[in-house]
Amino acid sequence: MHRGFASLLLSLSLLVLAACGGRAPKTSGAEPGARLLTEPQYRSIIADVFGSQITIGGTFDPLVRTNGLLTVGASLARVTPAGFEQFDRMARSIAAQVTDPAHRDYLIGCAPQDVARPDDRCAEQFLGRVGRFLFRRPLEREELATRVAEARRAAVELGGFYDGLAASLGGMLVSPSFLFVIDVVEPDPDARGSMRLDAYSKASRLSFFLWGTAPDEELLRAAAQGELHDRRGLERQAERLLAAPRMEAGLRAFFDDMMAFEDIARIEKDSIIYPAFSAAVASDAREQTLRTIMRVVLEENGDYRDIFTTRKTYVSGALGRIYHVPVDRPDGGWTPYEFPEHDPRAGIVTHVSFTALHSHAGRSSPTLRGRALRELLLCQKVPDPPGNVDFSKFNDPHSPARTARERLSVHALQPACAGCHKITDPVGLGMEHIDGAGQLRTAESGVAIDARGSLDGIEFADVGGIGPAMHDNPAAPACLVDRMYAYATARPTQRNERKYVKYLEREFARDDYRVPALLHKIAISDALYAVRPPVEPSPAFARNTP
Amino acid sequence: MRGAFCWAILLPCATVATAAPRTLGFVITTWNIAAYETRFADECPLGLNPGYDELWWRGLSKPDRAKFTDNGLKSRLERYFVAIRRGPNGEDVCMNPTSVKDPPLMLVEGEKSYGMDLDGKDGVATGKSCPHQEFTGLDGTPGVDNQLYRLLGCVYGFRSYGQFEANENENRKSNGKGMTLIEVTGVDDVRNDPDVRVTIYRAVDQYTLDGSGRFLPYGSYRIDVADGKPRYSSTLRGKIVDGVLTTEPGDVNLPFYGNYTYMNRFLRDLRFRIKLADDAASAEGMAAGYLGVDQLMFYVGGLGPIQSSAPANCPSIHVAAYEIADGHPDPKTGRCTTLSSAYNFKAVAAFIVHGESQRYADGWFDRVRRFISDLRASN
Repeated sequence: MHRGFASLLLSLSLLVLAACGGRAPKTSGAEPGARLLTEPQYRSIIADVFGSQITIGGTFDPLVRTNGLLTVGASLARVTPAGFEQFDRMARSIAAQVTDPAHRDYLIGCAPQDVARPDDRCAEQFLGRVGRFLFRRPLEREELATRVAEARRAAVELGGFYDGLAASLGGMLVSPSFLFVIDVVEPDPDARGSMRLDAYSKASRLSFFLWGTAPDEELLRAAAQGELHDRRGLERQAERLLAAPRMEAGLRAFFDDMMAFEDIARIEKDSIIYPAFSAAVASDAREQTLRTIMRVVLEENGDYRDIFTTRKTYVSGALGRIYHVPVDRPDGGWTPYEFPEHDPRAGIVTHVSFTALHSHAGRSSPTLRGRALRELLLCQKVPDPPGNVDFSKFNDPHSPARTARERLSVHALQPACAGCHKITDPVGLGMEHIDGAGQLRTAESGVAIDARGSLDGIEFADVGGIGPAMHDNPAAPACLVDRMYAYATARPTQRNERKYVKYLEREFARDDYRVPALLHKIAISDALYAVRPPVEPSPAFARNTP
Repeated sequence: MRGAFCWAILLPCATVATAAPRTLGFVITTWNIAAYETRFADECPLGLNPGYDELWWRGLSKPDRAKFTDNGLKSRLERYFVAIRRGPNGEDVCMNPTSVKDPPLMLVEGEKSYGMDLDGKDGVATGKSCPHQEFTGLDGTPGVDNQLYRLLGCVYGFRSYGQFEANENENRKSNGKGMTLIEVTGVDDVRNDPDVRVTIYRAVDQYTLDGSGRFLPYGSYRIDVADGKPRYSSTLRGKIVDGVLTTEPGDVNLPFYGNYTYMNRFLRDLRFRIKLADDAASAEGMAAGYLGVDQLMFYVGGLGPIQSSAPANCPSIHVAAYEIADGHPDPKTGRCTTLSSAYNFKAVAAFIVHGESQRYADGWFDRVRRFISDLRASN
């Protein structure tokens, strides 16, 4: 065969292979690390292990959103002294509830021979069982003996078995083994000189990714028996997790993080300007969007991009008053609702959870909305405003500018501001038919609103055009893939993983943008569990480190 | 198919446009007797009427005053349960207004009043009415019938600064009982439409309020149903002229709750005049018709201890009510049985939920009945 022809055939084959997705590029992952549990993860684990009737008081130190996700920020978090105090308070409270008379009979699973005295047998049984779920691995023999000894000592000092048990359990709940998801590595027998995550770390990674919580009994069993190092075993477990009802909670946790919904709890609106807005509206708005997303991506296994255009959603009594739509159950519960064709509202970007969250207390904000849309949903970085921005013209109550567009047209003339506003405002101004509380409007200060907007070259007449523009924007599904992979690994995506993420983007498109397919692909990938050996500190660094 | 809804208001959105007739919905937020009160109560030249407590007090000897009031230290409320039972045999004079003969009620003597001309006559007796005085409307309209105001306008508890009506409105606001929905159907033009239908329902959902307790528009309200049918659903024909909706008269059953009394108010020949706000997010208006004296007395008789802070005297009201009743003579006695009445009300836009939603909207009684029925079936 002619060499040129053969070369052409090979190139064509590669092209075809690439078009079909091809083989996943190899990655070497990141160095093993430790990630602080996020608040949702902490709450989920406590609910899973002890039941949802155990209340969790205290506050969690805020995490720094990193690469668009709090979950990634958790990989860089440290526990401050004040934060540890909070963890300690929560731990004591949880332990006290677990061992109190109302819960001990069914949560502890054994009873001491004498409640006034230590009972090593019962303590060992309880702490060993619970510790396995809290630490996401079995406790070492010595580790367990130490915990039992703590329970014994405390029982003697405090005068009762349950007080002793509570003290020991409280200690476990502030242990780094609980508070941090720690990557434990071991030599990889299949690749000399390489490392791999141990089975329990793999189990944690899989479980936190798909379920947003610690591994369950079956996953821990599979880890103990080494099944997770076997491709078929890993696939079996991943598919089990994906098929479980719990999957929805895990996926919700991801979208909650991606949409920055933790900020919804802090929304404040001027009650004079927006009397219909309330804490119930804010809370329900979060739920509405999550329900809408779940219906598209999970229940219908639909195209992810449809979340930007779907007219189908759910409304509660509180939201009905904001959207001015009827609800079946004004006294509570959710009503499926479909915005009619002539209504410009469609897709999650028109939801209260987006429009009100990214607005000011008393007015809308094209800039905040534009920025949020680009950063959260398109994974584009918009620089922070410079510290010396002059907002006086923008905020001047005597300004003849009556609409946001008019105010911004004056403000954005400042050279230091113009660059960023060109990125955020064209799309944000397109949402001006929705006010700062998420209500439809056509005028501001008595002046008809010009709600024309544009997004990356797509122009639209009003907010009804944003959904289609987002749907067809290639950055939207790419952003989901990027976030999903970072969420799965719970750390910033590494340079060596970029090709793999690009590969996932192609696969996602090939799978018609079905999110479950993407989850499955990541869950059983080598990339998710890839780990590279920690870099040894340089001799100079080692010498200078006390 | 999901439940059908009454679209409260038509969003002020240029993109919303449809040729199909529309439906407006409102929930009444406040409801008051249309009373014309002057600053110095000129309409009551002899002053306001004494309440049950004053009359009881008058009838006591000094030693009894000391005896029944703990030497004058018991408050009006504390002595209510003694004072109200001043009938000759210890009867509660509100429950038994004929058990005593009290001074006659001082009626409104002013010439002006809010209200409507209900009989079209100048107060002369007809087959449907008894002779009565008529008022002149504040805008000069002659022949205004409002005997309810004439009756209660000089009773402290029923005046605007009295407590009864404020309490009624607050009761409905806080517990959601006796809430009235107004549904306007067949609306082709919210400013001018020669033919619309107005239907009254009772809501089973509580008011939607903002954080300061103000009424919010666009809440959803399910209607009260029994055995699959609305429990209240009186319908009147109407028209809209320049944003003012008026109806023809008709007999209407209105839900009512206030001051511990839950009742139907059957108003005969009731008609509405409702001014719709430009944005149709709210409305206010007047309802005028004939209220049965027996119904009124049922309510007045149940006022209870609240009269200790909002004076009223049931026996005097009872006698006067029949004396000035001007509507619907009893065929046998010729005595009129109803009082011409006018009420002012305010409302906000609402979604009135019909259809499938009714399965949730049964009243408390229906739910209990169904629960018992299910329980029996399961046994």
